[in-house]
Amino acid sequence: TSSVSANFDLKTYWSTLREEINQKLDEAIPVKYPAQIYESMRYSVLAKGAKRAPPVMCVAACELLGGNRLAAFPTACALEMVHAASLIHDDLPCMDDDPSRRGQPSNHTVFGMDMAILAGDALFPLGFRHIVSHTPPNLVPETQLLSVINEIARAVGSTGMAAGQFVDLEGPANAIEFIHEKKYGEMSECSAVCGGLLAGANDEEIQLLRRYGRAVGILYQVVDDVLEAKSSKTDLVEDEKLQKEKKGKSYVSVYGVEKAVQVAEDLEAEAKNALEGFKKYGEKVLPLYSFVDYAGHRGFSFADQ
Amino acid sequence: KIKDTHVELPFDFKSYMVEKANLVNLALDAAIPVKEPAKIHESMRYSLLAGGKRVRPVLCIAACELVGGDALTAMPSACAVEMIHTMSLMHDDLPCMDNDDFRRGKPTNHMVYGEQVAILGGDALLAFAFEHIATNTKGVSSARILRAISELAKCIGSEGLVAGQVVDICSEGADVGLDQLEYIHHHKTAALLEASVVLGAILGGGSDAEIEKLRTFARSIGLLFQVVDDILDVTKSSDELGKTAGKDLVSDKTTYPKLLGIDKSREFAEKLNKEAQEQLSEFDRQKAAPLIALANYIAYRQN
Repeated sequence: TSSVSANFDLKTYWSTLREEINQKLDEAIPVKYPAQIYESMRYSVLAKGAKRAPPVMCVAACELLGGNRLAAFPTACALEMVHAASLIHDDLPCMDDDPSRRGQPSNHTVFGMDMAILAGDALFPLGFRHIVSHTPPNLVPETQLLSVINEIARAVGSTGMAAGQFVDLEGPANAIEFIHEKKYGEMSECSAVCGGLLAGANDEEIQLLRRYGRAVGILYQVVDDVLEAKSSKTDLVEDEKLQKEKKGKSYVSVYGVEKAVQVAEDLEAEAKNALEGFKKYGEKVLPLYSFVDYAGHRGFSFADQ
Repeated sequence: KIKDTHVELPFDFKSYMVEKANLVNLALDAAIPVKEPAKIHESMRYSLLAGGKRVRPVLCIAACELVGGDALTAMPSACAVEMIHTMSLMHDDLPCMDNDDFRRGKPTNHMVYGEQVAILGGDALLAFAFEHIATNTKGVSSARILRAISELAKCIGSEGLVAGQVVDICSEGADVGLDQLEYIHHHKTAALLEASVVLGAILGGGSDAEIEKLRTFARSIGLLFQVVDDILDVTKSSDELGKTAGKDLVSDKTTYPKLLGIDKSREFAEKLNKEAQEQLSEFDRQKAAPLIALANYIAYRQN
């Protein structure tokens, strides 16, 4: 399949940004007193396996609309902080009860449940504070920064990711679309929109980024479900697969592979369709195009994952 | 009872508290309507609207008015500090934390809605507090709103409220000295009172000097609150307190009376109240009346 982004080297673009984001996150959470809480926060935020998709999408959207990437970095870091906070709480025994995350034991298994709850509670405000204290004032007007904070708070809140997690845990049944949209689409949508807001995008452009980000986030997860269903790996993976299917958390277990593949194709088309609105920006749209291809086909992986 | 300065009107603290708390309750009720999914919003409302004296929101509004601002400008922030206070209690009460079944005479959030909802509802309240300030604060520059958001974030995070909780948890069963006890209370209790007052002062248009004076005021009354709490626990009966008395002694918790004795603890409380009120000396006496009364209320309350 020929792709618009065939000539764009997403892997290099992504890897370079990822390193920069990792360094900035490292600097953003120095260990102070009481050390336990900082260690716990750092453990999850700086996890080696993190791909940094939300921050990279935020930076790419900002640059597409003519923004300076320096304007986007603090928000990009904040997205990782609030994302990590959500994941730490999602993994708790009374929630998803996940013993591992990003290739390492989950936060509460290392630091205890109480510290895991508090680390999450501290990472949310740290994200907001980081945006205010680190965004260069000459690059982003204050009203836009308020919109960014509002966007992130809404995305993680009671009608966003928290709603997705709630429905995932307590039903109703057959809510796989809602769960995927809220648990996975929301963060991706928020990342693209924040990048646009930081660059001063107009309302129409923000709407396009919203559609684009949401479609890419859900696409990534649906393809994940398909790949997982098709893979025949070790017993451990088999166990996790069964677990997921039992809980009705996989798109494939609800609709079957064929329908899931169809949904993935539709989402891919939807994301690319939204990007048509950015044609006038020429090649600058390539990073966002290649993101869709990556979410749909996983053209590469990171060495240290 | 009538003071010699005939311009000074007596301040009716009780009416003031009732009036402001009613306004805050109305604003909180309106801020979080029940949306889908209903249960998570009901859980947020259950704890947020469970009563309480609304000391933090009233401090926020009083500080805003003291520096010449309009109460309405501070209302979203006043609601936000109460949302944060509520979420910290929801998470604190969880089985893996303090494991409390009752709060203000009602079953705790996780007893009613389950642990998972109590965690998610708390997280949602935390995020919404920031959203509420960012979208609903009117009549003040974006720069001031951002400054308020940054202050709030600092006071409740790993340098503030959370730090206090962590040190408190890590001190259980250990010998706690005066410095550490003060650290815990400054962070666990005073930090959110500090945020309440400082946000009000920022949004009310206060100067940097005024904001810092009010910050010191809030830190003093925050610590005062805890010292008085410790004293009441050993000097009052359960009936008088409306909660179990002597709890600290039973749990062998480190308190001010334990480290200093009752008399010295009372002296310390007096000193903190005096220090707090000194910060208000350069403000208009009548405008400062609500904060003076709040400090005295915290110092001389009987339960």
